Amino acid sequence: MKASRARLFKEYKEVQREKTADPDIQLVCDDSNIFKWTALIKVVSKQKNGGKKKIGPSETPYEGGVFQLAFAVPEQYPLQPPQVRFLTKIFHPNVHFKTGEICLDILKNAWSPAWTLQSVCRAIIALMAHPEPDSPLNCDSGNLLRSGDMRGFQSMARMYTRLAAMPKKG
Amino acid sequence: MVSEDNVIEDSVSVEDDFDGDDYEYDDGGDDYDDDYGDAGDDDDDYGLVEDDDVDDPGAMVSRRPKLGYTVLQEADIKQRQEDDISKVSTVLSLSQVEATILLRHYNWNVNEVHDEWFSDEERVRKSVGLFERQVVDVSDASEFTCGICFDLLPCDNFASASCGHPFCQECWQGYICTSINDGPGCLLLRCPEPSCKAAVGPDMIDKLAPCEEKEKYSQFLLRSYIEDNREAKWCPAPGCENAVNFAVGGGDFDVTCLCSYRFCRNCTVEAHRPVDCETVTKWMLKNSVDGENVNWILHHSKTCPKCKRPIEKNQGCMHMTCTPPCSYEFCWLCLRAWSSHGLATGGFYSCNVYEAEMQKGNVDAAMRREMAKNSFEKYTHYYERWASNQSSREKALEDLNRMESENMEKLCNVQCTTMSQLKCITEAWLQIVECRRVLKWTYAYGYYLPEHEKTKTQFFEYLQGIHFFFFLKAEAGLERLHRCAEKELDKYVTADGPSSDFDDFRTKLTGLTSVTKTYFENLVRALENGLEDVNSTACNKTVSPRSPASPRSPTGRNGKGRGSRGKESPRAGGASKNVDDTSK
Repeated sequence: MKASRARLFKEYKEVQREKTADPDIQLVCDDSNIFKWTALIKVVSKQKNGGKKKIGPSETPYEGGVFQLAFAVPEQYPLQPPQVRFLTKIFHPNVHFKTGEICLDILKNAWSPAWTLQSVCRAIIALMAHPEPDSPLNCDSGNLLRSGDMRGFQSMARMYTRLAAMPKKG
Repeated sequence: MVSEDNVIEDSVSVEDDFDGDDYEYDDGGDDYDDDYGDAGDDDDDYGLVEDDDVDDPGAMVSRRPKLGYTVLQEADIKQRQEDDISKVSTVLSLSQVEATILLRHYNWNVNEVHDEWFSDEERVRKSVGLFERQVVDVSDASEFTCGICFDLLPCDNFASASCGHPFCQECWQGYICTSINDGPGCLLLRCPEPSCKAAVGPDMIDKLAPCEEKEKYSQFLLRSYIEDNREAKWCPAPGCENAVNFAVGGGDFDVTCLCSYRFCRNCTVEAHRPVDCETVTKWMLKNSVDGENVNWILHHSKTCPKCKRPIEKNQGCMHMTCTPPCSYEFCWLCLRAWSSHGLATGGFYSCNVYEAEMQKGNVDAAMRREMAKNSFEKYTHYYERWASNQSSREKALEDLNRMESENMEKLCNVQCTTMSQLKCITEAWLQIVECRRVLKWTYAYGYYLPEHEKTKTQFFEYLQGIHFFFFLKAEAGLERLHRCAEKELDKYVTADGPSSDFDDFRTKLTGLTSVTKTYFENLVRALENGLEDVNSTACNKTVSPRSPASPRSPTGRNGKGRGSRGKESPRAGGASKNVDDTSK
């Protein structure tokens, strides 16, 4: 308990100090509870990101979206992984469409205490850019990708990005 | 597995205690001829007969099969494990710790370790996580930042695996304890640095874990030596901590532990010859759970296709990964290796294999529902008989224990004889216990015997006939033996002084024991060879008329001369001959 608090506090300070290092990730700690965090992930296009190939191919269907993640950190953290789920609806083979549950090995059996909340966010961004249709939680999405229907997948994913992850226009 | 021979010789052997119980198929087939041919001679003339037939030392030797397994006690297991570790450590010039990690990785197979190591040391080191030099070197610095708690700490507080990634000792302790408390997967522990594959071995555990976890870890390590080893299994008897070591692919599945529990080393259920493992598993599942539970288990759980542990799937995708150290990856739908799934085989989620089977299954399902109505009565019939033999067997075991603890000494005193002369009584009881076991399983066999089909009716009627014939012989033999060991023995225990006919009694009991044993061996063979048996038409003619209806009809015409004629003139034709032929 004490160790997890100390570690989370260190991460909190690090986040404050390094705000500019990762402009696409906004990690926010709950005001009253250090074990509850939220993150906003901005998926920006290649051009806006200064040409850096940070978030994968420019044709990512999540482009322009802002996705909110909820972290529930267990008391055994960092020996146990945090529980992370998408609060924003997203059409992705490895994210449960209803609950936002994420199928990512580092959040399950491949967890290492050397990971941080920040690096988990980075791993999730990488997962968004490179879906793993081999182990799908969202079968519809996985089936589209697996059958090679890139256009179908892209348009579905883009539609949900517009509906759920972008500010409403007008 | 020739190399195993020398190992077997020098360890604890149970050969002497259970010599005859093994059903090895030896070549002394002629020995059995007598008892088949004489379906009717159930008269009381065993004493004479068996002296010639079985007590002949030559016959005993030829019949005694070679044991294909060794029973290991905890000390033996430790010893073997240490020997293996030392062997690898000497041959490969590695530390004991490195040898342990290496052996664990290759499931304690010394030969495989040697082969792999000498074919490509570099690759083995990489995949196992044994680094020759550190990737990171912080030994010069006075302070370091722990990669887990992010504290800046003085260097005396640091520890690392062979890679050199520094973490403080408290964090190491937490990391190791979490892993140990998660189960035997801790034997595969790696450096906490995500990209680093360096193995964390027993030396780190020793240095950094608290006592309780250390104890757990060494238990896991010891268990791993049996559980991950293809050639060893734990004795499944409750409270027994022995294991058996055997040669894979070699001979008999039935093994007897030092605790005298007999079990099948393939499926680790109690010994179940003549029934095969699959049938037993089906039968046990059917018995152990009531309808509701069966349904639940069938619908919600499957067993890992590799390690057979039951798995309940409550979330996630169809890509299953069994808990370490098995870590087998498979498809939940069709239970085949995940690696066999991909675009080429029809994809990851809609498993083609499964769908093809479902189409077949739909047809089956309708038939199954139809059959379910009829099957319950049939099941009850067989189950009752199975269960009653089970309880008879337990009763016989109790009787044996009571006999050994109470009556044996009394009998020694009353009859003025030595313990070793009374060995035949223990043997008789052990035989009774064994017979009950076989009888029990014949009911499971009977339950799964294929239903009659038009084309096969004749065949199966014949088959059941021949089984029934052996079955009656065996059962009658057992009854006589039981009576003799229970009732008649009582007379001698309660007698006032030495009885003049006690020696005769002993001879008779020995005879009955061995005759009954032969009957049961024949029964087991007949059932195991059931399908091959019938190929010979000659046999068909001889046996069919007298098998089911009148097993006792050709009265004791061969009775008297049986023993002396025995091996020299095996009876021509007859079921016995045929069975022996097929069993070779």
